Amino acid sequence: MSNSQEREKTQRKKSKMLDATKSLKNIMGRHYLAIEQAYRDGNPTAWATSGSPVELLYAMKVQPMLPENSATMSAAQHISKDLIELAETQGFSYDLCSYFKTNIGAVSKGINTFKGGIRKPTFMMATDVICDTHVDWFQTQGERMNVPVYLIDVPHIVSNVNQRQYQYYKKYVEEQLWGLMDFIQEHTGNELDMEHARKVAENSYKLSEVWRDIYELRKNIPSPISTKDTFGGLFPLFTMPGLKPPIKLYKRMYREAKGRVDAGIGALPNEEFRLGFEGIPFWYNLKYFAMLEKFNAIIVYEPYTFAFAKFFSNPFEEISKERLLKDPIEAMSSLMLSFWYIFDLETRVKWFKKTTEDWKIDGWILHNNVSCRPNTATIYDLKRHLQDDYDIPCLIIDADQNDPRKFNEIQVSNRIESFIEILRKRKET
Amino acid sequence: MKKIGIIDSCVETPEELILSGGFIPYRLFGDSSLSPLKADEHLPPTHCVWARNILEQGLQGLPDDIMGIVSTHGCDCMNRQFDIWLDSVDMEFMYFLNSPLKRNAAAKKFFIQDMKELIRQIEEHYNVKITDEKIRENIQLMNKIRALLKEISEFRTKMKIKYSELHELIKKVQTIDKQEALNILEEKLKDVKSRPSIKENELKNILLTGSGLDDTDFIMNLENAGFHIVIDDLCIGTHYFWEQADEGADPLESIANYHFKKPIYSAKVPSHQRYNFIEQLIDTYEVKGVINLAEKFCESILYDHPFMNKKLKEKGVPYLFLEKEYNTEAYKQLSTRFDAFYEII
Ligand code: SF4
Ligand code: SF4
Repeated sequence: MSNSQEREKTQRKKSKMLDATKSLKNIMGRHYLAIEQAYRDGNPTAWATSGSPVELLYAMKVQPMLPENSATMSAAQHISKDLIELAETQGFSYDLCSYFKTNIGAVSKGINTFKGGIRKPTFMMATDVICDTHVDWFQTQGERMNVPVYLIDVPHIVSNVNQRQYQYYKKYVEEQLWGLMDFIQEHTGNELDMEHARKVAENSYKLSEVWRDIYELRKNIPSPISTKDTFGGLFPLFTMPGLKPPIKLYKRMYREAKGRVDAGIGALPNEEFRLGFEGIPFWYNLKYFAMLEKFNAIIVYEPYTFAFAKFFSNPFEEISKERLLKDPIEAMSSLMLSFWYIFDLETRVKWFKKTTEDWKIDGWILHNNVSCRPNTATIYDLKRHLQDDYDIPCLIIDADQNDPRKFNEIQVSNRIESFIEILRKRKET
Repeated sequence: MKKIGIIDSCVETPEELILSGGFIPYRLFGDSSLSPLKADEHLPPTHCVWARNILEQGLQGLPDDIMGIVSTHGCDCMNRQFDIWLDSVDMEFMYFLNSPLKRNAAAKKFFIQDMKELIRQIEEHYNVKITDEKIRENIQLMNKIRALLKEISEFRTKMKIKYSELHELIKKVQTIDKQEALNILEEKLKDVKSRPSIKENELKNILLTGSGLDDTDFIMNLENAGFHIVIDDLCIGTHYFWEQADEGADPLESIANYHFKKPIYSAKVPSHQRYNFIEQLIDTYEVKGVINLAEKFCESILYDHPFMNKKLKEKGVPYLFLEKEYNTEAYKQLSTRFDAFYEII
């Protein structure tokens, strides 16, 4: 397709999704088919929380399933509210994480996989690296479903942790990863094949790498892609790190986006405002983000969707491919300790500042997600620092990632509209 | 004597180490008369009310004799708040102690390393020396304190002391010189032994569990509603004194072992084991009902509540679950719930 044809095609509609992203459905479909296949063949399966080393499951021939991912599917199909309410009738508080409650509801009701249901696994693997919810969630479901749970305790990195501490934190995580492999062997009979583990690790690295490259393209003005590609496109990073098919998909996304960049065309025809979005989107109303288009505003960076390209966001040390291949378990323990989504306040502020400059962001929308205390605990301070220290405009909106009851569309829209006005005035002056 | 403040959502901070540096460990408790206006500028409304109250105190300024802070890994809320303390509270020494989530060999090794780092940082910062010998002496001192508290606590069964009085005492022990605390406890034991039993026939024996629950006024409200908290499963309670540390072993190993064997709090894993301790207490102390109280937005307790509810139902013990705000006015609203529970047990 010539550049002018591409330009025309993109400008026909507002914010055009990449053609490649449309095949995401097929990739995710393969993931769910692989799960079904594992049950048919009697192969082991495991639930895993985000932030846990899913690669090690693939390395040990265990089929992973991510309940958070399933919960987003329920939200996208507008059934999360019912499932959450069902969990609440079982005594789980209105104030608890909506992913967790969606999962409780989905399992209680036994809904099918494509609606966000999830089957009983051979075992569960959780870690507290991102939140306590993950630990409490799997402990609760492990007990209710009578399934063994392996927990990886990841020391919490705060702003004044030094390199010396970081080193013994890492050793602790590494020791537990070896413990995890013993646990897997005990419950499945599968042994670790280091060569296979290296291949899986290499694929995971490549997946992150292409995702990072796609992000690099978003630095261009206009940005070639919008959240239509990243909010959905992110799932293979959670569910399939270590497999080849998503790498191919991301490469296609990259090529298409690069084509747009070369042709000087953006996902949005008249890009005026470049925004960053911090936090998890509202999965039950993804269309909502298209509303930004009427202001000629486009989101060009989301720490959340970038965070899981974890090889490129460790502020303590570089994790090169060579190092990963030399000792995948050691590298994996570094990857678990520190990445975008769980940064301490000081690192968070630094990275936001740099990202704002590199991606030429006019302002940030920060989602105060009432489900997620760990992610929102320092959100006011983040805003204060970005605004006061670096003159970066920020807007905090209150909502929830999976519970539509906690999203007040009119209120949020009004606030966004006023925010865009502020950005407009800044540009004018 | 100078103090080092402790912020702890459970009771995981080894006071022995702070004592061995020549400081008084001073645990921060909530103050229900405070309006958390400054903390509100840092924390969204749906974050734990207790943690907010503690942050408010930090932002308003702690007493001058508090020279530093040790904050210990507990729940998400407290863990993430440490960065706010570092950023906005004027305090020259702050250490985040990553007390592990689990209780196994790898966790023990890690905990010991993190305690060593704490020692190192205290030594470097304050130019003091924390020797094994000193730690050992302080383990002995803490053991005596724990033993005395346990003995005093047992007089709850004889109606010689109410939990509110014990509660005040445990808090005091965590804020003053430990030698002085020892003297106070010895006196208190004599006093409690010799006093007559409380004659309140209508009191009903319950077990109290839940979040940290450090507000003694609130405990008094419960007692005024007709309950005798004959035993508890709380940080300002049994969790502080139930076990003893081994005096012969390597001192850091002994402290780690001690923390791993004491009753588990809901922020640690497997938190469902908390029920086992409660069940044991119910049987031993002939408890008639259990009240589980969460500070508003305390996720640790909220996650455990349905499990607790199920287990207590199976056991046939009446159970009341409540959430509370952190202010005296709001306490009054709970009285009807207390009355209704009183009637059914
Ligand atoms: S939304 Fe937050 S609390 Fe819920 S699972 Fe995700 S990180 Fe944890
Ligand atoms: S009351 Fe609960 S949420 Fe609050 S600090 Fe304690 S454990 Fe954490």
